[in-house]
Amino acid sequence: MKSTKSRRARSALLGAAGVLTLLLVWQASSELGWVNGTYFPPPTEVFAALGRFVLDLNYWRTIGNTLLTWAIGLAIAGVSALVLGTVVGLVPVLRRYTRSTVEFLRPIPSVAIIPLAILLFGLDRDASLVIVVYATFWQIFIQVLYGVADVDPVARDTQRSFGLGTLSRFRYLVLPTALPYIMTGVRLGATVALILTVTAELLIGAPGIGQLLTVRSTAGDYAGVYALVVTAALLALVINLLVRAVERRVLSWHQSVRAEVVL
Amino acid sequence: MKRRAFLGGLAALATTVALVGCTDSGASPDPTDAGPAETYQVRVAALPIAETGAIWAALDAGIFADHGIELEILPAQGGAQAIPALVAGDIDFAIGQPMGPFRAALGGEEVRILSNYANSLPSGDDVNSVVASAASGITSWADLSGKTVAVNSLGAAGDLTIRAAVEKDGGDPASIEFVAVAFPDVPAQIEAGTIDAAWAPDPFRGMVVAAGGTDLGGPYQQAVPGLTVLTNFTLQKVIDEQPDMVEAWTAALSDALDYAAGHEDEVRAAIATNLDIPEAAAAGIVLPEFTADLSNAGLEDLVKLAMKFKYFETEPDLDAIVVQ
Repeated sequence: MKSTKSRRARSALLGAAGVLTLLLVWQASSELGWVNGTYFPPPTEVFAALGRFVLDLNYWRTIGNTLLTWAIGLAIAGVSALVLGTVVGLVPVLRRYTRSTVEFLRPIPSVAIIPLAILLFGLDRDASLVIVVYATFWQIFIQVLYGVADVDPVARDTQRSFGLGTLSRFRYLVLPTALPYIMTGVRLGATVALILTVTAELLIGAPGIGQLLTVRSTAGDYAGVYALVVTAALLALVINLLVRAVERRVLSWHQSVRAEVVL
Repeated sequence: MKRRAFLGGLAALATTVALVGCTDSGASPDPTDAGPAETYQVRVAALPIAETGAIWAALDAGIFADHGIELEILPAQGGAQAIPALVAGDIDFAIGQPMGPFRAALGGEEVRILSNYANSLPSGDDVNSVVASAASGITSWADLSGKTVAVNSLGAAGDLTIRAAVEKDGGDPASIEFVAVAFPDVPAQIEAGTIDAAWAPDPFRGMVVAAGGTDLGGPYQQAVPGLTVLTNFTLQKVIDEQPDMVEAWTAALSDALDYAAGHEDEVRAAIATNLDIPEAAAAGIVLPEFTADLSNAGLEDLVKLAMKFKYFETEPDLDAIVVQ
């Protein structure tokens, strides 16, 4: 059996190879003329622009702004989705009555409510947060809803026959069942929140990567635009790694994370 | 243990970078010593384009501070965002093209144009022009009939004056298909052939011409020579609630525009710094005529043209919209 270390090293190597292949195809497309290199600069120019950005304090301030909006949006969406999802999930009457409302509101693309957000909050972070929270909330809410409702009937009957109180029921029955769903919701929500943060900044002009992207675009700095796209992608990667690490830690007791013990 | 340290490190890094974002973005320069007793915090929305160079240069020169104004410039993405932001009370003033306030006024919002900001140039190279690809074979305004022409936003002064220019040259404006393409996307779209011609400012029209395209000239010069490009507007509510601030802002902006008109080098330097473009590129941009004076702005002609081509259902009341 291969050790975890060599397996992890191999998967990291394969991942790096995949990224390298993508970069080579990108460079080739410019060199071979599949796309016009003026408007879609090759990675050499884009990473040169990224290097220039890294030396600029304003660039880091911009990333900080995006991350702050992302964090606040995710927190607000997460907490409210957790509370509302638990309440609605545990009360069957509420679940029935809110189902059609949820299905109606959920598919509304949050960028469509940008005019409303600007009307309420102007051109600042608050308007972006409306967009971020709206989309992320539904991601996490649905997961919490299903998680809370997915209690094992045998376990539920056991709890009832043991006469456990509401609080114990919650702690020993609902929470362990719901936690994997909640963590999935948070992982999906984290990605969605970042996408919507950058989108909202792009369209509203709130401070952050999206706004800087528009400014570079208006200045005709195509290499800078794609450097910022790469920045957003790297941010998403870091966030994903972070959330996965948290998920592994929180769910370390769950059978999906623990390896099978061969006796 | 290693993984925990890695996790902790990542979290610490993320928190640090997020906290950096809390800091003020680009603090304004220290106000000069000799200033009036009253200071006003003014938030104005202006597009991150070369024309805003006048405000940037005047800000650096301390002109707004002299009037007691602490200015914060918000980079709006367009007039469409500026007016909801005004209504929300998030900004005090906006610099934008005049069709936006007209539409808002017709929609019931009490938008008021306080002053002019920049006029286009009545002769010679204009601030923007219609450029066409070499492949399209367009060499005159009449040739635009039946072609696909891009403007940055539909229903504004761009497509309106292009229609007027085509009609003046004997073409059929009704046959033109106007599409919305953002200025930075124009050169790529012209080359790809998805559009035949486009209305664009520097540096994008230069890129099209450099790639072999034709420059037809400025549509404003054909329709309303010297037409205003940008005006300074706000809501009646702001004028009613903060008359002193509005007066200070109007006076400050007027001085700022006079300064910009007389100090072109400073304006170009400010553009190069704020848009982060090379100085050579900033030197090549055609600057508009910076002025706060609305008498040559051509607003009446613009409204007449808009009614002729049925852009509005009812005529905007300039006497009400423009603050005398």
